[in-house]
Amino acid sequence: MNRIENHPILTFPERKEIAFRFNGTDMIGREGDTIAAALHASGVKVLGHHFKSHRPRGFYCAIGNCSSCLMVVNGVPNVRVCVERLEEGMDVRQQDDKGVLP
Amino acid sequence: MKRTADAVIIGGGISGLSIAVHLAQKGVRNIVILEKRFPGSGATGRCGAGIRMQWGVELNCLLSKFSVDYFEHINDILKNDVDVEFWQGGYLIGAKTKEEAAQFKANVSLQNRLGIDSVYLSAKEAGDMMPHLDTSKIKAATFCGRDGHLNPFRTVQAFARAAADLGIDIEKYTTVTDIFSESGRVTGVRTDKGDILAPVVVNAAGGWAKAVADLAGVELPVYSRRHQILVTEPVEPLQSAMFMGFAWNIYIQQVPHGPFIMGRGDTSEPTDLRMTSSWQFLEQMSQTVMTLMPSLSRLKVIRQWAGLYNMTADAQPIYAETPELQGFYLACGFSGHGFMLAPATGQLMSQLILGETPDIDISSLHIDRFKGETPLPQESSVV
Repeated sequence: MNRIENHPILTFPERKEIAFRFNGTDMIGREGDTIAAALHASGVKVLGHHFKSHRPRGFYCAIGNCSSCLMVVNGVPNVRVCVERLEEGMDVRQQDDKGVLP
Repeated sequence: MKRTADAVIIGGGISGLSIAVHLAQKGVRNIVILEKRFPGSGATGRCGAGIRMQWGVELNCLLSKFSVDYFEHINDILKNDVDVEFWQGGYLIGAKTKEEAAQFKANVSLQNRLGIDSVYLSAKEAGDMMPHLDTSKIKAATFCGRDGHLNPFRTVQAFARAAADLGIDIEKYTTVTDIFSESGRVTGVRTDKGDILAPVVVNAAGGWAKAVADLAGVELPVYSRRHQILVTEPVEPLQSAMFMGFAWNIYIQQVPHGPFIMGRGDTSEPTDLRMTSSWQFLEQMSQTVMTLMPSLSRLKVIRQWAGLYNMTADAQPIYAETPELQGFYLACGFSGHGFMLAPATGQLMSQLILGETPDIDISSLHIDRFKGETPLPQESSVV
């Protein structure tokens, strides 16, 4: 897990676990996580690949600006997972193309 | 800057560039294009860059057919390899009412008579062609597979490069401030960078055509109004044809690299030279496209912009030498179709200027038609 558990100033109260799937694999996040935060905490660093160069794309701006974290969520492409809240049972998939509309 | 020229073209958009290139190809050597900003900075670089041969009046059909033929061979003609991204995925035009469908049937028979291979389609056939279109909204449609769209920036680049190869002088960031004449003949122009004497001056100033004509003391029966476009994020190819619906006031295409582009004007807006964007457009266009193509509601808008339509009363262009000022030529009033007509504009205007017989009879597009004696039929197939 890549979560900060102990911090000199901040405290992190225990949060409810949320189950979701990433590329078909079951994963666990915490209530209040963004999708990107839950993936990051679970060690997922590659969120997709660039449609043209095919280079891996990761967590970058974290504020919904940079397009580096576009993923397919519940079949919807181009979701900015850094600003999308994780929900129970979400199906999150890596996106390697420009996105196919459902 | 040159002090004399054989021809001065005012406007470095696609029309001015095409006229200059055609003149040079016919042997005119000393041509100057005066451009207030940079080539394509006006309506050319702001337009949807679609081209269609599906029109309701004969001349628009003929002019656009000439231009499709030209764009199909543009690299051979201009002798360069600029990829103008001419995508011939066709235009699918939807009819909202039975009356419009009947009009479309008449349009198709006119187009077919002129050698344009458009077809009349049922709503179901249109749906087979464009599955994300809600066909319950349309009564019928027409389609022509040789229609399509281009990349306006690349097209400007292709013409500008050809112009440079032909020795045409493009003066950027140069504003015309006066037009000189002597006993009914144009003699030159004044710019903010000096005077140029020339026996031929062409007004290809697009949205600013009226202001330029005013400098010559010529009254132009045209007005300008902004039209707006929005562009979405890119997605994988979904829509090959340009969809157009006059009754919904929309054209919508997917450009080759993935984004959707959609645009319209608003006839309730004032007629002036503003090119600002409005939130009303964003809201109304989104509503329209979500009605016609619900699945596109997932698309995020990236940005929007505006450009000027230079309108005439019959939505057909003006190609003419002004009766009151010899040597002062008009290529304006394109009513939103200047980009697609540009090859024809260049060919026909150069023929007019050089005293040749134009390939297409454009005498009816003379400015005198607005004086009431020989009015043209109104083109209704417009967005």
